[in-house]
Amino acid sequence: MATTIRMPEVLANVTEAAVQKWLVAPGDAIAVGQPFAEIETEKAVVEYTAETAGTVLELLIKEGDNVDVGAPIAIVGEAGEVAPASPAADSSAAEPAATAAPAEPAPAAAAPAAPEQTTAAPGGEAHPGARRFISPLVRRLARERGLDLSSVTGSGPDGRIVRRDIEALVAGAAAPASPAPAAAATAAPASASAEPDLIPHSRMRTTIARRLTESKSTVPHFYLTADLRVDRLLELRREINAIDGVKISVNDLVVKAVAAAFADVPEANTTWSDEGRLRHRTADIAIAVSLDDGLVTPVVRGVESLTVTALSAAIVDLATRAREGKLKQHEIEGGSFAVSNLGMFGTQAFSAIINPPQAGILAVGAARQAPVVVDGALEVGMVMTVTLSADHRVMDGALAARWLAAFTARIENPVSILA
Amino acid sequence: MPKQRRLESTAPWVELSTTAADWKAADPALLATMLGQLHLIRAFEERVLDLAAEGLVHGPAHSSIGQEGGAVGSIVGLRSSDAVNGSHRGHHQFLAKALTHVAQGGLDVDALVTADIQTVLQKTLAEILGLAQGYCRGRGGSMHLQWFEAGALGTNAIVGGGAPMATGNAWAQKRSGTTDLTINYFGDGAAQIGSVLESMNLAAAWKLPVCFFVENNFYAVATRIEESVADTRLSVRGMGFGIPSWRVDGMDPLAVHLAMEQAAEVMRSGGGPAVVEAEVYRFFHQNGPYPGSAFGYRTKEEEAEWKKRDPLERVAREMIKLGLIDEAGVESVRAQAVAAMDAATEPLLEADPEKQGRRRIRPELWPDPNFVDVGVRGDASELDPLTALDPSTSDAAREETKFVDAVAGVMERRMSQDDRIVVLGEDIHRLKGGTNGATKGLADAFPDRILGTPISENAFMGLGGGLALDGRYRPVIEFMYPDFMWVAADQVFNQVGKARHMFGGDNPVPLVLRTKVAMGSGYGSQHLMDPAGIFATSPGWRIVAPSTAADYVGLMNAALALQDPVLVIEHVDLYGEKDEVIAGDLDYIIPPGTAAVRREGAEMTVISYLSMVRHCAEAIEQTGVDAELVDLRWLDRASIDWATIEASVKKTNAVLIVEQGALGTSYGGWLADEIQRRFFDWLDQPVQRVTGTESSPSISRVLERAAIARTEEVVAGLETVRRNAGGA
Repeated sequence: MATTIRMPEVLANVTEAAVQKWLVAPGDAIAVGQPFAEIETEKAVVEYTAETAGTVLELLIKEGDNVDVGAPIAIVGEAGEVAPASPAADSSAAEPAATAAPAEPAPAAAAPAAPEQTTAAPGGEAHPGARRFISPLVRRLARERGLDLSSVTGSGPDGRIVRRDIEALVAGAAAPASPAPAAAATAAPASASAEPDLIPHSRMRTTIARRLTESKSTVPHFYLTADLRVDRLLELRREINAIDGVKISVNDLVVKAVAAAFADVPEANTTWSDEGRLRHRTADIAIAVSLDDGLVTPVVRGVESLTVTALSAAIVDLATRAREGKLKQHEIEGGSFAVSNLGMFGTQAFSAIINPPQAGILAVGAARQAPVVVDGALEVGMVMTVTLSADHRVMDGALAARWLAAFTARIENPVSILA
Repeated sequence: MPKQRRLESTAPWVELSTTAADWKAADPALLATMLGQLHLIRAFEERVLDLAAEGLVHGPAHSSIGQEGGAVGSIVGLRSSDAVNGSHRGHHQFLAKALTHVAQGGLDVDALVTADIQTVLQKTLAEILGLAQGYCRGRGGSMHLQWFEAGALGTNAIVGGGAPMATGNAWAQKRSGTTDLTINYFGDGAAQIGSVLESMNLAAAWKLPVCFFVENNFYAVATRIEESVADTRLSVRGMGFGIPSWRVDGMDPLAVHLAMEQAAEVMRSGGGPAVVEAEVYRFFHQNGPYPGSAFGYRTKEEEAEWKKRDPLERVAREMIKLGLIDEAGVESVRAQAVAAMDAATEPLLEADPEKQGRRRIRPELWPDPNFVDVGVRGDASELDPLTALDPSTSDAAREETKFVDAVAGVMERRMSQDDRIVVLGEDIHRLKGGTNGATKGLADAFPDRILGTPISENAFMGLGGGLALDGRYRPVIEFMYPDFMWVAADQVFNQVGKARHMFGGDNPVPLVLRTKVAMGSGYGSQHLMDPAGIFATSPGWRIVAPSTAADYVGLMNAALALQDPVLVIEHVDLYGEKDEVIAGDLDYIIPPGTAAVRREGAEMTVISYLSMVRHCAEAIEQTGVDAELVDLRWLDRASIDWATIEASVKKTNAVLIVEQGALGTSYGGWLADEIQRRFFDWLDQPVQRVTGTESSPSISRVLERAAIARTEEVVAGLETVRRNAGGA
């Protein structure tokens, strides 16, 4: 008996998704738990594993097509079985023009139409079996401000999303896209034509655009810059990397120093919520990872309790899986602070946009040789410029300055990072 | 065996018929005028039926063909300042009054149709066709013909509905010191209905110069009079009320005229009302161009017998007999009348380009569809010269008073300033200010303007309506309990509420109706409604519902100045309350569109009125909800303060409408509907409501409390809104 595989709700409240890549082909025998498809949502790409054993009879949507959650995407049956409604099996094929709809004609019939629904209303319209209730006010605000309600949990009757819930969103609910500057501006088209090439927005691009606009327009940013002597830090890194089998980056040490600075100034580890400020006990730090056309910010949790090598391994793992589109939702949520490092591109200094609900982001430039004055004498030293973007709602200037001083002290006395 | 003495009515009751001597004695000019009017009306009615048969008359055309004698005979002798109103079958009465008005010296049978008469015919026909040039701009049509200048108060499609208003008109005529009179025409079908009988009683009790004129044509549509009454001599009604009554052959216009002369003498000399019954016969069915026999409820033979008594032929015959006219002359009168109708019809119709051989209304003559709601009420510009004051924001000095004393106080002040104001109601002149003290001191100060009425709400409400339409007086009606509006519903809603709009939108209906909500007083299921919802959903009325004494003063002053019917709702809970008014000022108004924000808040908007405003304030206090409390003051669609509501809803995004009374007839339904459509995108939850339960409050104290809303129910409502705001 053939089974229809439907687009799973891979993330809570996501209403549509696309198969980014089929991991099976028609005719493949599959087992429960076997990777079946990479499902791309607005937030992340997740690997969907088969929940039904059998043979893939038919794939109903093309890679890249968006369909509603719940829409049929594939038919799985027994080997040799023919998808029930395929023309070959239908003896009454008197109308060859009839759609070659696969099993379960009624739901399948909806599938061809689904890919056209690429621009779902921001209000998160109803989809089969999971009607979401949204108050008229919230619908209007979402429309006007381009808010995405898909991750909002309604607290009104029957889960209705009400004003209060969207206020939380505006103030900065889970925002997967990194606030860090895009890895590189899209190069000017080489074409001789004067007309620009239109590059359709990817989901990630849309999300970045929306999230960062929201952050920059609703979170009051202010910026503190410091030049750090990193000669000793670089020396420490060499020493550690001299240990066989260990390879850590400057950034790993920077992230570790961030956590240490929070230990020094715990009141800076605070984020905003409507009900009050949230004082965090652990240093959950997001790392900006640039992708081919976009970026994500997976979160390393409890950085203060990780060794540098463990931290490094965690960052490598997250970055690798980020590039493979295999991050899990919980890995891109939360965090109280972020680090964005463009040093590898030679960038000397920049400032970054905060990624709500985080309260700050540290923009890290390249370590460079620079003239420095020590005890009145000019010498050459390794200098790294960092810029802290802070959320003024939770952190005033003096607090931010104290934190930055603590961070500077940690970097400039790097052994303390390891302590 | 008990001793018996035969009793008789105090009023005379006579049957009057003419003799040859009467015809000979009649003024030839009178007979000529009657002949001319009869032919003009007949030709007019025939034209209406022709047009109806062509499908050009929208709705029923109640033909008076055969009945012209009653109207012409009774109206031909009237002054323009005398008035008539009539029923659904009223073309003949309207035309007779209009023709008598424009041809004061009578009609000339050799030159029957003057320019004025031609105008009357065309304007009347245009009205019946529903065209903009009609007397009521096409709104009234066949059944609502009004021309005040001619003394045509308006015909009426509710059986008996015109009687109370005719009585009111007669009251104004009498009180003004004139000897004018009013005739209310109705048919045999209306001779049993409450409005007519209540009006007869009121007119007799107060000796008002109104004639109740029964056109007894024996059929209420298809029901014969014998099926409806025991005594088919309907003028017998007068005997029950002590009203002098005449019975007369309505197919004999001179007999009708002579009977009316006698009746008029009684009425003009202060003798009170009269009843005149004229036996007539409509040659056609209730409406349309077919005889009644075609519908099987009467015979062709009966119709043929009556046709022999055609009033047109009767007058012509008698005039020929007297040598006043010859056959050719009569033919000429007929020809002139038909030609006049051709001339009246021609400008209204044209060949239908889509249907060969058919005609249609000239399209440019229809009313503009945008006119549809114009004149439901006036524009309130009459309030412009008055001084407005908002006690909720004024810092003027206050003085303490009981709420009910402000009620009586402002009325006394207005009555002392405005001689036109008269107050009508049950027991308002006794008990030291009526049943609640709301008219305290008024009967002493204005003994002839505080009118204790018989218990007949339909009659005295309609009498007030007649006064309002007449315009010389400002009626203030009191209903002791709001539920009595059902008893008087025809006059309240069909007549007073609709009159301005229905008759074209120009003639105002300035009237104040006071009543008190009495929930909590134990008066039970038939006394304890809140009338706001019913009035708010009925056309024409404005509504105020003051929650404070100072507001009462300003709102009553506005109500008394407005040219519209205004319902003033009071509440027994408020009467005894210690309150305060603006010291030394009983003259300011609170104009329509002025709500009061009793408390500012951000969490939700609470909208209420009357006594529930205080309950809302208490509930807000108890719950600590940061609610914005809007006291509406003006409740009707035209007068409600949308600006204040809009600002509040946009601020709070949540609305709770609070009222005390029963769910079914509640006020908040329409308002919730309007709010959700106006402000849908500003609402974060459904518009919530506090009302009573479905049942009408019972007499049992416990059940009454359970049926109505007070502070506890408002608390629950506030909590519901809060729950719906989420975030829990």
